[in-house]
Amino acid sequence: MNCEVCQLKELEVEHYEIREVLRCILHTIIFHRALGLVRPKDIDLELFEITYVQCGDLEVEKKIDEKIEQFISWVEKHPNKKSQICLSFYEVKNKQPSWFTNKIERLYWEQWYVNLNVAQLPKAHSNKSHHSKVVFDPGESASEERSVRRAALEASLRDVLFQIIKFVNEKKDHVPSISEGVIYFPYEITIPSSSDSAFGMDMIKRMLQTGHPTMLS
Amino acid sequence: MEQIITEFYTKSLHIILESRSPYMSSRNFSGEQALSSPSSSTSSSSSVRPRDRWFNLALRECPAALENLDFWHQSNLEPMVVDVILVQRPLDWDPVNLSPKSELVRNLSSKERYPFCWSSDQEECGSEAKSEKIVERWVVQYDSRKVRDASSGSRRSSSNTLHNVYKKSILLLRSLYSTVRLLPAYKIFRDLNSSGQILTFSLAHRVSSFVEPFTRKEEAEFQRFGFTPVDTSSGRLCISVLYRSSISEVSSEPSTPMSPQFIPDYVGSPLADPLKKFPFLPVSHGSPSSLPFSRRHSWSFDHYKPSPPSVSFSPSPTHSEPHLSISNMNSRRFHPMSLPPHPPETSLVHKKNTSFDEYCPSPNFTPSPSPSPPIYIPGSHPSKSRNRSDCAPSSLLATKLANSPVLSSRQTLSPTPPIKITRSGSSKIDRGMGPTQTGATIDKLLTLGKDDSRRFSGVKLSSHGSPQISVSRSSSRSFPDDFDDEFPCPFDVEDVDVTEPGSRHESFDQQGPLSEPLEPGGLFPIRKSQDAAVGALVCMLKKAPPLRQDLSSSINSSDATRPEIWRNSNQESSQISEAPSGQHAASLSVASSSLVASKTTADALEELRGYKEMKNLLLSQGARSQSLANYASTS
Repeated sequence: MNCEVCQLKELEVEHYEIREVLRCILHTIIFHRALGLVRPKDIDLELFEITYVQCGDLEVEKKIDEKIEQFISWVEKHPNKKSQICLSFYEVKNKQPSWFTNKIERLYWEQWYVNLNVAQLPKAHSNKSHHSKVVFDPGESASEERSVRRAALEASLRDVLFQIIKFVNEKKDHVPSISEGVIYFPYEITIPSSSDSAFGMDMIKRMLQTGHPTMLS
Repeated sequence: MEQIITEFYTKSLHIILESRSPYMSSRNFSGEQALSSPSSSTSSSSSVRPRDRWFNLALRECPAALENLDFWHQSNLEPMVVDVILVQRPLDWDPVNLSPKSELVRNLSSKERYPFCWSSDQEECGSEAKSEKIVERWVVQYDSRKVRDASSGSRRSSSNTLHNVYKKSILLLRSLYSTVRLLPAYKIFRDLNSSGQILTFSLAHRVSSFVEPFTRKEEAEFQRFGFTPVDTSSGRLCISVLYRSSISEVSSEPSTPMSPQFIPDYVGSPLADPLKKFPFLPVSHGSPSSLPFSRRHSWSFDHYKPSPPSVSFSPSPTHSEPHLSISNMNSRRFHPMSLPPHPPETSLVHKKNTSFDEYCPSPNFTPSPSPSPPIYIPGSHPSKSRNRSDCAPSSLLATKLANSPVLSSRQTLSPTPPIKITRSGSSKIDRGMGPTQTGATIDKLLTLGKDDSRRFSGVKLSSHGSPQISVSRSSSRSFPDDFDDEFPCPFDVEDVDVTEPGSRHESFDQQGPLSEPLEPGGLFPIRKSQDAAVGALVCMLKKAPPLRQDLSSSINSSDATRPEIWRNSNQESSQISEAPSGQHAASLSVASSSLVASKTTADALEELRGYKEMKNLLLSQGARSQSLANYASTS
């Protein structure tokens, strides 16, 4: 069993669009990974003409919203940064204690990376654009640009959703079997922490935890 | 395994049709529902309207799917082709599927494998003058191909277990479910369902086993999306779809708003449509305090139609569209012309008070105050508290309003929309009307105010939107003479209640020459009209320079801008100064501080000076005048 990783296409979003975009993407992924009995819920996005599907589980919804809020506050503290949200599915395995001194081990079998580039509102910022940030010329063309950007974002969001669907279709073998009574696989959403390096550390930690495939029995 | 495959067909059909067959078209299917497809009911556990739980996807019943499934007594080896057709008909509500039904009945008994086609006239329906176009073609099939090579077979043996197959088909159907909602035809489906009227187009579907393949030319128009097949031990389950990426013929109302867009000048921002606001003015949903003002102003306006109207109404424009105006005001802050969609809640209005940077001193107000009063008539809620205090001086304010058309405008500008607006409104009215009896029936004022405000609001609005100073000037220009005349003092008599808000404004104006005008916006008693008035006022206030708070500061700074207005508004301010004294001070300070715009401040100051004089006269009338005096002294 190897860990399948999917890097989603990068999206350029504005601050107020973050919530909707993230909800859409995360819920879609989880819907495809909630293989227990679900009652799908269709949700229409307000900002875009896109309808996505939720798995209908309240717990999931709550958790996702919480994470999104955390992410938004992080973004506010770190403006003008490309950010990545990682949604990982894991299996819990009881391993004998090894040097990690962890009885419970998480085996990640799938990871999704949502790449966002949060653009600052033109009014708020005028200077730094060392990123591929979308910086508008404040003024008359701002609204036009905004609508153009929004249309582009909608198309990109659709692409990302199709990307998810294709990935779900193509890679099916690594999905663990469904247990009775479990609606969705255990998952974890990781948002960037206070510093980029820390995020990297998280990744390393996770890699260590996951262990080498050959180590797994 | 066989059952899984059968169910797979069923489920996929269910998913597809659930989001492609509009509810309305299920009219002709009710009869068919009696025939229950055995497969779909086996999986459902409960008996009462069970949801089909196959593949762990609990879906609601889909009549269309059930109907079609009833006829789908095909072996699993037949592909199932579902065509989603866009039917455009000229209001002829002729169900497309009726004819196929008859065919199906005929063939129902036969379970042969020959094509199970629906109506013979598949593509053309010339007789009925409909034009059909296949927009999607779904193909579900089970390729019972032998495993290609032994190696793959052995490797996949584990994966071909029933459990695995089931799991994979679950995944496939999940993605089918999502995809169905992402394709363009979904939008048509939603439009059909949501729109109440009969549209010229409709969606129909056709389930068949054999269809003519598209010609090459036709196929070029389609895009294909194929789902990864699920391998089973004896074949593969495949789903694929050919869809048109753009369906242009359908001109449907946009069912979902594209994106929240600011509607610039929706409310008729002063710049864009100054007169627009007026209609709302009379609405009196403003804060209670504004009421009194409005009334007063209204009648005062009668007298001074030409001049004061703008003044008194200045707040009204803002009031009239409280919501809009508020947003306007906000927008004004940032863009004179555009109305930010910011929810023009009254809360915003309040916020505006603090946020208004541009505080157009008087100029903006002149028009605004006038409107506000009329609008304010009904008891506005927001600034009730404020209004009370203002009420007392309302009389004064009324006069003041007359004096300080500018003030009112300013008031509207101030962030505290409702309250301020009323103030400004009232103040304006006073000014406009001048001495007209403050106690004049508010109704009158309202009516007058309205008209006037309309006019003025236009003026004022323009001022708000655009350089505040200019507006004030214009307003002052229009009113100066009127105000001067009128001002004499009929307002003193005004009903306290009515004028309170206004008076507050005015007093503010007077006290802080510059700040006043702006403040009215903030201070405006909300009376004017809750929503519209508030909005108008807010706008005005925004533009207006902060009134009170910085009475001293504002006065000093904005002297230049408002000389004229101030003169006019002096009267108002005097009134205002009285009323607001208590409450205004606080509100004004807040409003003015935030709203003070450098430019306007100067103007406001100037005006304020003028008003102060007038105010002093009025001050004598009320106890509150003391506070004004203080202001005056400071300024």
